Amino acid sequence: MKMYRSKGNIIFDAIIYFVMIFVLLICLVPFLYMLAVSLSDPKAIINNEVSFIPIGVNVEAYKQIFAYPNFFRAYGNTIFYTLGGTSISVMMTALFAYPLSKTFLKGQKFAMKMVVFSMFFSGGLIPNYLLISNLGLTGTRFAMLLPFAINQFNLIILINFFKSIPNEIEEAALIDGLGYFGILVRIIVPLSKAALATIGLYTAVFFWNDWFNGLIYLNTDQFPVMLFLRNIVNGTSMLGDAAGSADKATIAISIKSAVIITSTLPIIILYPFLQKYFVKGLTVGSVKG
Amino acid sequence: MAVLNKQHKNAIVHTQKSDFKRHFKRYWQLYAMMALPIIYFIVFKYVPMFGNILAFRRYRPGMGPYGTQWVGLKYFKTFMQDPAFWRAFRNTLTISFGNLIINFPIPIIFAILLNEVRRVRFKKVVQTVSYMPRFISTVVVIAILGEMLSPSSGLFNHFLQSVFGIEPIYFMNEPKYFRWIYILTDTWQFTGWTAIIYLAAITGINADMFEAAQIDGANRLQQIIHVTIPSIMPTIMVLLILNVGRMLNLGFEKVLLMYTPTNSAVSDIIDTLVYRTGLANQNYSYATAIGLFSGIIGVILVSSSNKVSKKFTGDGIY
Repeated sequence: MKMYRSKGNIIFDAIIYFVMIFVLLICLVPFLYMLAVSLSDPKAIINNEVSFIPIGVNVEAYKQIFAYPNFFRAYGNTIFYTLGGTSISVMMTALFAYPLSKTFLKGQKFAMKMVVFSMFFSGGLIPNYLLISNLGLTGTRFAMLLPFAINQFNLIILINFFKSIPNEIEEAALIDGLGYFGILVRIIVPLSKAALATIGLYTAVFFWNDWFNGLIYLNTDQFPVMLFLRNIVNGTSMLGDAAGSADKATIAISIKSAVIITSTLPIIILYPFLQKYFVKGLTVGSVKG
Repeated sequence: MAVLNKQHKNAIVHTQKSDFKRHFKRYWQLYAMMALPIIYFIVFKYVPMFGNILAFRRYRPGMGPYGTQWVGLKYFKTFMQDPAFWRAFRNTLTISFGNLIINFPIPIIFAILLNEVRRVRFKKVVQTVSYMPRFISTVVVIAILGEMLSPSSGLFNHFLQSVFGIEPIYFMNEPKYFRWIYILTDTWQFTGWTAIIYLAAITGINADMFEAAQIDGANRLQQIIHVTIPSIMPTIMVLLILNVGRMLNLGFEKVLLMYTPTNSAVSDIIDTLVYRTGLANQNYSYATAIGLFSGIIGVILVSSSNKVSKKFTGDGIY
């Protein structure tokens, strides 16, 4: 019996480790492949020699995209949207979440209902589009920032977090003569760094990855880097097919890979550091949806 | 409680006005904080909701944002007779059903298996890596996929050719692969992330239950079947019901990125139809009507599944 069980255990463990290593590979291989392609010699790409290690190391693709003035502009735009959008969003979310965490306020329940309802029913694409253009935001960078000032999901995470902060701290501060603005800025925000970092990260990732709003609202010189990438993917693939020139196509491939790597790297580098925060944030928030 | 309320009602009516004044004076800062966010919600969330009125009014360019005259259900009748709409409707349902069937159980299985990994550091590494795709832009995911599946230089076709001798396939362009690609990229992006919730639920299981099962002679597989899965069943149910409720909310941007004229027969979903008729062809009223229709179905799905969830598990999203 014991023998059988330990033998079963070994097989069981073997299956689990096999699955886990498979997951690791599946998640990592695409990035390694892109990195390898972006750094490889075009000839090696044509001959299908590239797998996970760059062959005939070549940084030409990076030089080319760095020489392309639109790339830096798009990259700068993305950084601007991410920083601007995230600061506006975290500020607005905190401003709303703090009063909403006070159940004794009149109208608090109603406001919560309005927030939750807007999670499930929205204006849809066309009414939103008409609103943005009627507000005169089309063609301005605000079109990327203002419509996303508050995400309801983040708001609810933050409300739940604020509710968990003991009341006694606030009462002491009120007796000492601090107003609610003072309490929010000097006590609540410093106590909520983990929660704010969590929603800040979600928001930053959203702004970093957004491209569709840029596509429908912005002018070319305001495009974020993801839209730049999407246009390269669309444009060069057409170029490759039409020209039928293998050389052109492979250069396009290495340029695409280089843009993929450069536009994704900041997130990949940043996120392991913030991971301990957001896992907690998600499990806290997930209970409530 | 009701009796108490009645008794106090008279007293309350007298002091209500001054009470409200005192309440406001005391908490005005909290109300002031809400001013800007409430304006935001009204302008950016509720005004577009009322903008749906456009679905019942005829839009004419340059003549006011919400149309010129009432036309009733005209646009709804039109799209109900439009084969393009029914095609998009069918595609939306097919993709979301497939997505649910495949991408609902996989994170559960992954979480259960990950929980069985005994080496803590290895477990941490797998976890960290499996979340990563969640942070990658859809543009990047589709671009990477396009490269890996490319018929001329892609790794995957190269692999198929050298191992199985299969001729290169243009996966991204062939209608029959579209749904699989859509669903499997979702698996890739979200499995690790969704598994966090199940892992948290598994961590919350009382260790005594596993010990008792061990004493009864259950092996690890039996422990999973008889302890782990029943214990996380409430979580599974809530998430299943929520997923059903959100079924029509497909990743619209992903479909838009994967769309090619060749695969349009299977890749046109309601959202892309709205995008094309509305923004590309400027048929605003018609597109709003289609959008409103799918929005209302979405609300019905969410609210009814939330009710079911509350009834069976006592837990819902609101």
